[in-house]
Amino acid sequence: MRGVKILERLLYTIPIMFGVAVLVFLFMRMTPGDPVDIMMGEAGTVAPGEMEQLRKEFHLDEPLHVQLYLFLADAVRGDLGYSYAYKKPVTELIAEQLPATIELALGALLFGLIIAVPIGIWSAVKQYSVVDRLSMAGAFLGVSMPAFWLGILLILIFSVKLRWLPVTGRIDYNAGLQVVTGFYVLDSILTGNTTALVSSLKHLVLPSVALGAGTTAMVARVLRSSMVEALRQDYVTLARAKGVRETWVVLKHALRNALIPTVTVVGIQVGVLLGGNMIVEQVFSWPGLGRLAVRAIFSRDFPLVQGVVMVYALTFVLANLLVDILYTYINPKITL
Amino acid sequence: MARARLRAFAVVTVLAMVLPLIAACGQAGPTPTPVIVKETVPVTVKETVVVQVTPTPGPKRGGTLIVGLMSPVLTLDPADYRDRQTETVIRNMFDGLVTRTKDNQVVLEMAKSATLIDPQTWEFKLKEGMTFHNGDPVTAEDVKFTFDRIITEKAIEYPEPHTAARKGLIAPLESVEIVDPLTVRFHLKAPWPVFMQMLCHQQIIPKKYFESVGGTKGFIEHPIGAGPFKFVEGKLDDQIVLERYDNYYGGADDLPPVGPAFADRVIFKIIPERSSRVAALQAGEVNIIQGVPSYIVPQLLSDPRLQVKTCAGTRPHFMEMNVKMKPFDDVRVRQAINYGVNVDLILAKILSGYGVRLPGILSPFNNFADPSIKPYPFDVEKAKALLKEAGYENGFSFVIDVSADAKELAEAIAGELRTNLGLDVSVRVWDWAVLRPKLLAGERQATVGSWGDSAFDPVGYLEAKVHTYVEGSTYGRGNYSQYSNPRVDELVKAGEVETDVAKRHEIYNEIQRIVWEEAPMLFLFVPQEIEAAAANVQNWGPSPDSRINLHDVWLSQ
Repeated sequence: MRGVKILERLLYTIPIMFGVAVLVFLFMRMTPGDPVDIMMGEAGTVAPGEMEQLRKEFHLDEPLHVQLYLFLADAVRGDLGYSYAYKKPVTELIAEQLPATIELALGALLFGLIIAVPIGIWSAVKQYSVVDRLSMAGAFLGVSMPAFWLGILLILIFSVKLRWLPVTGRIDYNAGLQVVTGFYVLDSILTGNTTALVSSLKHLVLPSVALGAGTTAMVARVLRSSMVEALRQDYVTLARAKGVRETWVVLKHALRNALIPTVTVVGIQVGVLLGGNMIVEQVFSWPGLGRLAVRAIFSRDFPLVQGVVMVYALTFVLANLLVDILYTYINPKITL
Repeated sequence: MARARLRAFAVVTVLAMVLPLIAACGQAGPTPTPVIVKETVPVTVKETVVVQVTPTPGPKRGGTLIVGLMSPVLTLDPADYRDRQTETVIRNMFDGLVTRTKDNQVVLEMAKSATLIDPQTWEFKLKEGMTFHNGDPVTAEDVKFTFDRIITEKAIEYPEPHTAARKGLIAPLESVEIVDPLTVRFHLKAPWPVFMQMLCHQQIIPKKYFESVGGTKGFIEHPIGAGPFKFVEGKLDDQIVLERYDNYYGGADDLPPVGPAFADRVIFKIIPERSSRVAALQAGEVNIIQGVPSYIVPQLLSDPRLQVKTCAGTRPHFMEMNVKMKPFDDVRVRQAINYGVNVDLILAKILSGYGVRLPGILSPFNNFADPSIKPYPFDVEKAKALLKEAGYENGFSFVIDVSADAKELAEAIAGELRTNLGLDVSVRVWDWAVLRPKLLAGERQATVGSWGDSAFDPVGYLEAKVHTYVEGSTYGRGNYSQYSNPRVDELVKAGEVETDVAKRHEIYNEIQRIVWEEAPMLFLFVPQEIEAAAANVQNWGPSPDSRINLHDVWLSQ
C-alpha cells in the first residue's frame, strides 16, 4: 500500500517539474539582459553579423513560443541544451557539480544534527539551566549570523591564524583520489585511500560548519520546544509513575513524539541548505551547483539557469516526499 | 497528502521565481575581455610597491606553483572563449606565433620571422624542432588548421555546431595559406594596423592529435598544445593541474630565460571571493593571487612572508553623462562637473592612491595618449561660474545609476558634487545586465564605470566609447553618454585602417582634444593592477593585460 502511494507521489512530480520548467523559462526571458551582449564583454572587435549569428545559434531570434517548444521538446528527452558560456551540455555540467553540492549539504546537515539533537534534548530536560540558556544564546547567534560572515571568520581563525584547515576547494591535488561517484568522502572510502579521506574531510569541515550553523540553531530550538511539550504529556507522567527509567522516558516516550515537528523542519532545512550553498560555495571556492547558478544568472546563461533551477526544484520535491514518508514511520497513524 | 503536494509546489514555484530575481539585486560587473595591443612605444610600468626579497643565487628548478584565479575557466579550447581568466590558463599550455612582453611589445614566439609582404599579407616562418606535448612536430598544417577552425562559420561541432568565439578577435583574416611545411601566409581582407597585437590572442593546436581524438569533445577533455606546461587533470570550476613539458622549445627569444619552465607543476585554483583569495595566500595555500583590493595592501605588506606588486592598469574609470538629456545636454554643465570634483581626493580615499589620473578619454599608458592633454584642474569657482552661465545657478538634481561594484565610487562623486557645487545627487544600484541596455538606449542620466583598454591602443576602445552607437556592432558598445560627433566618428574609422604611426598619432590627438573639450564624461582615473605572492616566488610580476605567465617563475625554497 505504501509503495503504491509513494509511486503515485513520484508521478505527481512530473507535472510539478513541467510547471517549473515553463516558469523558469519565462522568468529568465522576462528578466532584462541580453546573453549575447554580455558574452561579448568589452570586446573592442565584434565582427559584423557576429552577434546575430550567435543569437541564431542559440535560437534567441525565434519567437518565444517556438523557443519554449524547442526547450521542452529537448527537455523531455533529457537534453537541457548547452551552456552559452561553457559550451558544454547542461546535464553534463550539472552532473559534474551536483555531487559537490550534495556532499556539502549532507556535511552541514550531519553537523547540524550531531550538535542540535543532544542540545535540544538536554535543554528541554534541564529547562532554564545554564546549558539551556547558553544554547538559547548560541541558537540566537546561529540563526542571525550570515553564513558569509561566519565563513570568513572561520577561515581567519582556523586557516589563516591556526593553519589547521584549508580555505578553498574539496581536496588536495596530490591526494591521488580516484573519482568514482563524485562524492569525494565516499570515493576515498570506496578506493581505500586514507590520504584522500583525511584531505576531503578536512576540506569539508569549515564549509559544513558555516552552512550548517543556521540549521543547527533552528533544529535545536524546535526540538527543545517540542520536547518540553512532550514531557508535559500524561503518558510521560504515567511512564514515570510506572517506574520507567528516566533516560528511557526521555528518549523513547518523549523524543519519538517530539520528532514530528523536528522532521518537518529538517526537511525544509534540506532545501535551505541546498539554496544556502550559493553563498558558502562562493566563500570556500566549493565547486558546486550554487556557484554555477550564480554565474549562470549573471551572464544570462539561460539553458544553464533552467537546468540548475529544475534540479533545485526536484530536490525540494523529493525532500518533501521523504519527510512525508518518514512521518508514516514515526507515527503510524499518519498515512501518505 | 494534497496539502503536502501543494506545499511542495508552492516551494518550487517560489524558488523558480526567486532565482532569476537574484539577478536583479546582485552585482555583476562588465566582463573584462582582452582587446588589442599596440606596438612600438613601450609602456612605462610603474612598480610603486616592491618588497625587497632576499635575492637568490639564480633560477631554481622544481616545486609547485599554485595560483588563485578570480573567476572560473570556461574551456580549454583556445578557439572558443572570450574572457581573460581562461586566456591565462590556456596561454600557459598553448603558445602562439607571437606574444607580448610585460611592457607590452609584440615579440615572436613560435614564429622565427614575420614579414609584411604587402599591406594585406603577412608571412610567418616557424621555428624548427618545436613539438606538441605528445611529441608531434609543429608544422604549417597545424597553424592553418587552427585558424581555419576559428574563422570558418560553424566549424566547432561540439556540443552543437557553432562559430568560434575568438573569430571576432581576428575578423579581418580572410585565409591562411601553407607555403612550405614551416611557412604560412596570412591573407587579410583589408589592411589592419593591429594585426600583430591581435595575433597574440590566438594559440596553435595540433591538427593530427585533434583529429585522432575525434574532434572538439575529445580535445577539450585532454588538450595538448606546444606551451611550457602540459595538461594533467582539471575541473574547470575547481582546479586545473599542469606539469612542465620538458621538451619545450623555449618560448620567445626576446623573453629570457629561454628553455623549459622552472616549476615542476602549476595549479590554477578558482577562488572567486576576494577575501577568501587573500586568506588562501596568507594561509600558504596558494603562491600567487590576482585581483588584490587596494585597502588590503598595507596588511599584506606587513607580513614578511608575502610580497605585493603593482603595474599599470587597463581600466579607465569615468562618470558618463547623458548628453541627450537635461542638464547634461549643455557642454558647460559637463565641464563644470569636471572642474567641481576633487578626483585626487577620491583616488586617495577609495584606491588608497593605487592609480593614476585619467586626463582625457585615453589612459596615460595608452601608446597614443596625447601628453599635452592634462586633467581638468579642481576649481570650484570656475565650475560654479560655468553652471551659472548655463542657467543652473541654483543647481539641479540627478541620479547616478550604477552596478554594485561601482557604488562606493559613485557615492564619493555624489558627495563631492553635493558639497562643492550644491547639486542634489543620488545613487541607485542595479544588476549590470539590467542597467546596460537602459544606458545604451539613453534612458539614464549618468553612470559610473570603466572600460577595458588592455590594448594600450585606441583601436577597439574608442570605437566602443566615443563612436555613435550602432546596434549589434563594435561602434558605441560602451557609449553610455550617448555621445555622437560626426567628426569623431570619421576619425575613429580612419584610425582603424591607417597603418602609418605618425598619421595615427595625428588622428588620435584630434579625437582626444575634441572629447576633452566636449567632456561627455567626468574623467576619473586608471587603477593599478595589484597582485600578491609568497615571498619565495621569484621572477614574477603582474602584467598589464592581467595574464599570468608562469614559464619564467621559480620558487627559491
